[in-house]
Formats: sequence, C-alpha cells, structure tokens
Amino acid sequence: MSGAFTARSQVAIVGYAQSPIVRHADAPLGAIAVDTALRAIADAGLTKDQIDGFTTGSLLPSSGGHASVDGVSIVTANWLAEQLRVTPRFAAGFQGFGQVPGAVMLAVNALATGAADYVLVHRALHNPPRGRYHANPMTEARGAMQWTAPQGFFGPLAMIALPYNEYLQRYNASRGAMAAVLVEARANGARIPWSYWRDQPITADDYLDARVIADPIGVLDCDIPVDGVAAFVLTRADRARDLPNRPVYVAGYAQGTTHAPRLPMHWPLDDIMGAGFEVARRLEASSGLAMREIDVPQLYDGFSPFVYFWLESLGYCPVGEAHRFVQDGGIRTDGGLPVLSGGGALGNGRMHGIPQMLECYLQLSQRAGDRQLACASVGLACHSSPHYGGAVVYTAEPL
Amino acid sequence: MNETPAKPVPVPDAQSAGYWDATAAHVLAIARCTHCATFVHPPGMVCPSCLSTDPRFAFVPVSGRGTVRSWTVLRDSFLPGFRDDVPFVLVDVELEEQAELRLIGRLVDGPDAPLHIGDRVTTVFDDLGPGVSVPAFALAVDA
Repeated sequence: MSGAFTARSQVAIVGYAQSPIVRHADAPLGAIAVDTALRAIADAGLTKDQIDGFTTGSLLPSSGGHASVDGVSIVTANWLAEQLRVTPRFAAGFQGFGQVPGAVMLAVNALATGAADYVLVHRALHNPPRGRYHANPMTEARGAMQWTAPQGFFGPLAMIALPYNEYLQRYNASRGAMAAVLVEARANGARIPWSYWRDQPITADDYLDARVIADPIGVLDCDIPVDGVAAFVLTRADRARDLPNRPVYVAGYAQGTTHAPRLPMHWPLDDIMGAGFEVARRLEASSGLAMREIDVPQLYDGFSPFVYFWLESLGYCPVGEAHRFVQDGGIRTDGGLPVLSGGGALGNGRMHGIPQMLECYLQLSQRAGDRQLACASVGLACHSSPHYGGAVVYTAEPL
Repeated sequence: MNETPAKPVPVPDAQSAGYWDATAAHVLAIARCTHCATFVHPPGMVCPSCLSTDPRFAFVPVSGRGTVRSWTVLRDSFLPGFRDDVPFVLVDVELEEQAELRLIGRLVDGPDAPLHIGDRVTTVFDDLGPGVSVPAFALAVDA
C-alpha cells in the first residue's frame, strides 16, 4: 500500500495577507505582490530575512494571448524573492493547473525535507488592461490549436459548457438550479472585506436574467477577472508553536490527473468525475481522514459547474444529485455544508484557489471574525477541475 | 470593426498534414497507429495505446458517422472571425469506428434544431478557403 504521507501535520500555515481584489489595480501587480508578501511575513511574526523558501504557480489563466511579463502580468517565486532582496535556499513554481494547492505542495515538501525553514506561498492574478480577457485574434491555428480553433471551439467557456451540458442532459437537471450556487457564493463574498463583490449579493432572478454566452454557461457562471495577490507563510510545526498566530496544519494533499488522449480543452464529464473519485481516495489516504470528517470543505468554483463536480466526486452527495442538493439548501453556510463559506472565486473574483485556502486558514485559526463558523476543525481547499487540479486537507490541531 | 476578421486556418505540420490533405478533398481520415491499429485523434508523437514512439500514423478514411455526446451554443466567440456566425452550435461527437474517438465541430443544422445526447450525425465540411476545409457535422436524416 503506497500513499503514506510522512509529512502529515509536520507543516503549518502561520500567517497570511490578502490584497484588495479589484478589476484593475492602480499599482503594478509586482508592487502589490511585494506589499502583500511583506504583510504576510509580518502577520506571521517574522522578518523577510527569515524567509528562505518561495513557491507559487504563476500562470496567467487566459486564452487571450496576453504576454506573461514577470512583475507586470505574472509574479514568479524568483522575481518576488529578488525584489525582497533575499536569497532563498528554495524557490520553485508549480507547472500544472491547480496552482494554489500545487504551490502549497511544493512548500510542504521543501519544509518537511528541511530544504527550507520558512516558505512564502503567493499567488498573483492579473486582469490585462487592454483587450478582452480571453479574446484572441489568431488567424492561423498551429500545433494543438489546429484541431479545434478552426471549428470555433476555443476558450474556457466552450470548454466547460460541454461537460456541464453533458451533466444537465444526463441527470435531467435544469440550468436554473445553479442559481442556488451563485446566490450562496455572492452572499458570502458580500461579507468579505477584500472581495470584488463586497456588499453585492445577488438574487436567483439576477442569475437567471444574466446573459448566456455558451449554453448553458452564462456570464455569472464565470468568476470575474481581477487584479489581486494573496500570500501565506508556512513553516514546520515545531517552529510554528513559537509564532503569534494559531497554526493551521497540513494533514495531506492530492492531485487529480488524467491521461485520456483528448483534443485541447476537451473535458468530457467522465474524465472529470473519474479523476475526482481518485482525488477523494488519494486525499483520504494522504490525510488519514474521511471526506465526511471535513467540516469546512471549500470547493473550487471558478466556473460554477465545478461545484457540482467536486460535491459529487468527493461524496458529499450522490452522483447526479448535486443540482438537487444545492436547491435543497445543502450548501447553505447557515445549516448546510459550508462549501462556499469563503465566497469562492464566484464571490471574490478570479483569485483561483486562494479564497478556498484562505477560508480554511481563517476558519481553522479562529481568525474569521464575525464569519467564524461554530465547527471548524478540518478544512479542504480545492482548486481547478478534479481532473487537472488538486486539494489540500488542513486541520486545526496536529493529527 | 466593420469587416469581419479572418477565421483561424489550420497550419498543417508533420503530424497533421495527412489529415488536412484529406479534409481538403472532403474526406475525414483519422490517424491510425501502424503498429496497433488504434485510431488516435489528435495524433501526437507517441501512440497512446501501444506507446510506440514511432507510430507512423496512417490517415485512414472513416465513415464520418457518430453520436452526439454533448453540445453548446456559442452566443459570443473569443475568436473574432466567428463574430458573424454566432449563435452557432458545437457538438462533441464520438465516431462510430472506436469508443471514445471524439471530435468537436460545428453543427450545421443551427441552434434551433432539437438535440439530444446520442443523436446520430454525419460529417460535412466547412470550406474556409482554397484547399482548406474543416470537418463539421449534420444531424443524420434517419435520426
């Protein structure tokens, strides 16, 4: 039996910072990243010269062909370390999807092996000021794109529309059921001080009236592109005990993977779900905890159908039932399973897996203020699609 | 912004030339591994079935018949060349030759045609320009 995770409870989050989430920031992305990193380090009770590890995932998640310029439209681990004038022993970027859990995995591995003692994990996301976020004026389709773009299959909305419609048709679900997801995400995001959607909850009618772009995907099924940076400091559990904040421990993690030969951005429902069931198995093996033991399971929602896919693949409701589960109050923070209590990407803006990780940290460290949940002992922070992303299990106490 | 920008045309390469040569003649020909006879779309450098690193894919004409696994209606396009085509339907089609052999293309019947998972389609072709045609799909008349 493989899968024993020897770093269980050996690493903890000890501090954080989150910038305001805005459509277009006044300051350059890199400057916001430096400020946010310094705030996180101070929050952890440390100084920048103690930070000897940096990890991130720096992808600019757009099909619009925007240039990736370090410090301007992306922020890599090495760039951030250079600007802070420190020389880390370990700096690395996560290459795949699921950048936020991926960056945490890199940090945990570095800390557990002694490759670093204090790791800053950050994620910087940018909304380019010119041009539509995903629009691409290509007139020639080369490489992988030649198989899909000439037919008009391009970009992430068509990508997610196909498995979502497959879901609706297979389980005789209505598009309108998703209103419960959007209302919940936006209600919670409205209470987050840094959220782009602060004080802007929506009604089910708002959702149903919004423009449909790629049936059944409408504009409100997509998180909004933003400028924003978040940073966390992680260290080993023995060092965490000496720091000011209550540590939140990493119990385990898992990646989702798939190997089906597919066209670019072709995500059939069965690929997503097959990998999702395996992610759940890997998470339980890694953490030693059952999915049912998690009281703050933060599901990824960059596109709303991911909430259904994660709910079902992690076993929080039967396969094919998520559309009923959400309508029956199943994900209501008040009385249901708080899968979007942190607002998610739909309730904060396109911060990728940051809202999920941050909500786990705030709730498990008892730092969520007036949003504090009564039961917050085990958290799960998911990111991306189950078949390309990943998730990290956090606990309030070491296991 | 009055003139519609051009649609992206496929640029054939060493792995795709045989495919686009066939579509130009309105023939759908899918890459097939010379070693294990598995159809592979899109063809890469390694056969995903037998892992041959020298699959010597042959482009073998197929029936063009398949079934609809999913679909979407594009009411906006991130490719400016499709600006005048919206709304249009894209179908995710499983070809009858092999399980999970899937292509995505435009459904020429348009957004008002009733569609269901499992509906049968046949391959047709959209001519993008001289010598450049891309596969699309039409609902089978016996559907």
